[in-house]
Amino acid sequence: MNPIITVHDLHKNFGELEVLKGIDCVVEEYEVVCVVGPSGSGKSTFLRCLNLLESITSGSVTINGHELNDPKINLNTVRQDVGMVFQQFNVFPHMSALDNVMLAPTKVLKLSSSEARDRAMALLEKVGLTDKADVFPSKLSGGQNQRVAIARALAMQPQVMLFDEPTSALDPETVGEVLEVMKALAEESMTMVVVTHEMGFAREVADRVIFIDHGQIVEEGTPAEVFDSPQHERTQAFLSKVL
Amino acid sequence: MTFYFGDILPYLPEMLTALWLSLWVTLASFVVGSIGGILLSLAKTGPVRVVSAVASGYIEAVRNTPLLIQLYLIYFGLGQAGLQLNPLWSALIGLTLNNAAYTAEIFRAGFASVPVGLREAGTALALNKYQLFRHVVFKPGLRGIIPSLTNQLIILFLYSSVASVISLEELTAVLLNINNATLRTLEVFTYGAVLYWLTSALIAYGARTVERVMFRW
Amino acid sequence: MFDDFGWENLPPLLDGMLLTAFLVVTSGFLGTVLGFLLGLSRTAPSRIARIVSAVYIGFIRGQPVLIILFFAYYVIPLMFPAVSVSRGVTAIAGLSIYAAAYIAEIVRGSMLAVPAGQSEAAAALGMNFRQKLRYVVLPQALRIAVPPGIGFLVALVKATSLTSVIGFVELTRAGRITSTINQEPIATFLIVGALYFVICYPISMVGRWYERRLA
Repeated sequence: MNPIITVHDLHKNFGELEVLKGIDCVVEEYEVVCVVGPSGSGKSTFLRCLNLLESITSGSVTINGHELNDPKINLNTVRQDVGMVFQQFNVFPHMSALDNVMLAPTKVLKLSSSEARDRAMALLEKVGLTDKADVFPSKLSGGQNQRVAIARALAMQPQVMLFDEPTSALDPETVGEVLEVMKALAEESMTMVVVTHEMGFAREVADRVIFIDHGQIVEEGTPAEVFDSPQHERTQAFLSKVL
Repeated sequence: MTFYFGDILPYLPEMLTALWLSLWVTLASFVVGSIGGILLSLAKTGPVRVVSAVASGYIEAVRNTPLLIQLYLIYFGLGQAGLQLNPLWSALIGLTLNNAAYTAEIFRAGFASVPVGLREAGTALALNKYQLFRHVVFKPGLRGIIPSLTNQLIILFLYSSVASVISLEELTAVLLNINNATLRTLEVFTYGAVLYWLTSALIAYGARTVERVMFRW
Repeated sequence: MFDDFGWENLPPLLDGMLLTAFLVVTSGFLGTVLGFLLGLSRTAPSRIARIVSAVYIGFIRGQPVLIILFFAYYVIPLMFPAVSVSRGVTAIAGLSIYAAAYIAEIVRGSMLAVPAGQSEAAAALGMNFRQKLRYVVLPQALRIAVPPGIGFLVALVKATSLTSVIGFVELTRAGRITSTINQEPIATFLIVGALYFVICYPISMVGRWYERRLA
C-alpha cells in the first residue's frame, strides 16, 4: 500500500491559541477517509494544513513524497497533486462553468485550449452539468456550483481530493446531488479526505473515519467500529448528539 | 427683481468652449493620475518597506491638504524655484498628482475586497501570484473599483474649477468674466450651475450604463 | 528655504487657521442639521418631500464648491439689500448649503444600510413610523454614518480653502497674503499645507479607527 499523505505530530497555533495538538495520520492510496468532530475541533484546520492553505507550526506533513516543511519546496507543484473543494464553493463568478474548469489546466498545466476544453467537458459531463457549460455561477444553484467546483478540482488530475464540509452550505434538496458525485468518485478509487457532518455518507463510503476533538484524534477506525461501537466517551457523546 | 436670462444666451458658445477645456483637462489628469494611482497602490502594498512608506506618506499628504494649496505650490512655488509653469500645465500636473493619491486608495480597497475564498480556490489550483491576480482577483476586483473610479472622475471634474484661481480659463473663470461684463450675476451663475450639473449627470449616467454592461455576470 | 520665510509671519497664519476651524464648526453644524432633515425627507413616505429633497441634493452635488460659494457671495446680499452681509456669513452659508447635500446622502445611505428586517421587526411589534425611526432605524443608521461622516468632515476642511477666493481671510487667504509679502511661496505654502495636515490627518485617523471598530 502506498501512503499518499503522512502526517506526523502536527501542531498548529493561531497566535497564542493551539488548535492542533499533535496529529498523526496516514492516508493510503485509494482510501476514503472521513473526518468528523464538533465545531471548533480543528478538523477544517487540519485539512487546510494538507495543502498549506494554513501554515504548519510544527510537525511534518508529507504529500506524495513532498515534505511540506521543506523551505525549498515548490508549493505550486505540490498543489497540482492536491485538489480542494470548499464549503463556500468559491467558483469564480466572472467566468462560465466551462471556463472555471479550464482555467488551471490551461494556465498551470499549460494544456492547449482544445485539450483543456475536452477535459473540462468530460468532467462537466461526469458531474452532470454538460448543458450548463456556458452558464455563469450567478445563474446556478448551490449544488450545481459545488459540482462545478468538484469538476474544477478534478481537472488538475490530482492524486488526492480534499473536501472541506462540501455540503454544509447547501439546501437539503441539493446535498444529495453533490454526495452522489462524491460517491462516484470514491468508487473510481480516488484518494479522498472529507471533513463532513454527513454521517450517512461517511458510513456508506468511507474506508476509515477519524474523530477529532479539541485538536486531537480521539478515535479512528472503520465506519462500523466508530459509529456502532465507539470506544471513547467523547466519541460517544458527540455521536449521541448527531446520530 | 427681474431676471434677464436671455441676455446671457450670446455668451453660451464661450461657456461651452470653456466647459470643453474643463472636460479634457479633467480627463487627461484622470487617466494619467489613475495610472499613477495603480503604481502608488502597488508601491504601498509591495514588499519594500521604504517604498511603501514613501507611497503612504505621499497619499496621506495629498489627501489631507486642499487642492488649492497644491496648485499654489506648483504655480507659485515652482515659479520661485525658477520653473514658472503656465496655468494649463500647473493645472494638469496638480490635478494629476492629486488624482493619483485618491485613485491609489480606490485600487487598494477594490482589490482587497475580493472574497478570500476566491483567492484560496485559486491557490489550491496551484495558480501562482501573477496568475491569481490576473485571472481570479482582477475582474471581481474591478467590479468594486469601477463605481468608485467613475465617482472620482466626477469629483475631479467639479474640482477642476479650482484651477480658475490660478488663471486657467476654464468654465468657472469664464463665468466670472461674463459676470464682470454683464453684471447679471444670478443669471450667469445659473447657466454655469446647470452646465456643471448636466455634465456631471451625463457622466454618471454613462458610468452606470457601462457598469451594467461590463458586469453582467 | 525656510530662512527667509520670516517667522513673524506665522501668527497671521495661525489666526487664519482659527478662522478655518470656525468655518468648519459652524458650517459643519448647520450643514449637518439641514442635511439630516434632507436625508430624512429623501426617505420619507411623502412623495413630494422625496422629490424636493432629491432635486436639491442632486443639483448641489453636481456643482463645484466654487460655484456654490460664488452664488452665495453674489446672490445672498441681493436677497437682503437692506443689510450689509459680511463675507463670513456668505462663506458659512455657501459651505452649509454644500455640506447639507453631502450629509443628506450619507444619512440616506446609512438608513438604507440598516437591514430591512429591522424595520419589519419593528413594524411587527406594532411600532408606528416615528417610533420605528427613533428607536430602531436611526440609532443603527447613525453608527453606520460615522465613518463617511468623518470622511466628509475632512472634505469640508479642505473646502474652506476655497472661501479664500471670495475674500474670507482663513488659512489659505492668509497664506496667499503672506507669500506676497515675503516672496516665499514655497516655504509659506508648505507651512500652510502642514497646518491643514495637522487638522485633517488626526480626523482621518479617527475615522479609520472607528471604521475598524465597526467591522
